[in-house]
Amino acid sequence: MGFCCFRVTELVLLQPDPFLNELTAMYGRSTENGSVWVTFKRSSMKSKAKRNKLGADALEFRCLVRATDGKKTISTLISAKDQQKFQSSYATVLKAHMHALKKRERKDKKKAAEVNKKEEKAPKKSRSSTKVTA
Amino acid sequence: MVYISSWDEFAERSIQLFRADPQSTRYVMKYRHCDGKLVLKVADNRECLKFKTDQAQDAKKMEKLNNVFFTLMVRGPDADITEVSGKEQTEAQPTKKGRGRKQ
Repeated sequence: MGFCCFRVTELVLLQPDPFLNELTAMYGRSTENGSVWVTFKRSSMKSKAKRNKLGADALEFRCLVRATDGKKTISTLISAKDQQKFQSSYATVLKAHMHALKKRERKDKKKAAEVNKKEEKAPKKSRSSTKVTA
Repeated sequence: MVYISSWDEFAERSIQLFRADPQSTRYVMKYRHCDGKLVLKVADNRECLKFKTDQAQDAKKMEKLNNVFFTLMVRGPDADITEVSGKEQTEAQPTKKGRGRKQ
């Protein structure tokens, strides 16, 4: 597989699990500065010439997931078989690292006292519902 | 392209965009921890939809959209996403009355 031949930066194609480990490390490295981009794309991993030759029906599509922090790029391919597992593991990784986002309660302290009472139940609901669906 | 302010509009239009051109549409999530900012982008080389947030509650909505896009991209643009997008709502109903945490 000659990914390195046509890319300036190396695109490392990993298995789903190593990809998630590497993504976790990427989020860990970028806490003080920097961003992380994650891209989903439907791809057959074939060149345009090959795609035209094979025709639309012969192509096998999977979901290409790429992640970069601007220095390093990693990627993985998700097939229907891996989807459920990857989907939930990916959500877990995101949940573990996206804690810099603002919680609703902090918005307005005066209002928060009233709103909190109503909302105290709300997070519990969503928490238990995510557990059920997970 | 300006940012779309309404989440529902963003989600709906991005799914439409993907269905119109599944092969060139991609979905990008950018997270910047130091600024606590999250930007979602869906583009197909012609149109570009963006959504920006710093709220934790939007991350939950994003999780659902992630699942929708996973399903669409793995199973194809005609895949049934009512299960992924509507499941949470239908399942959240009984837990409201439920006796606290279910485990």
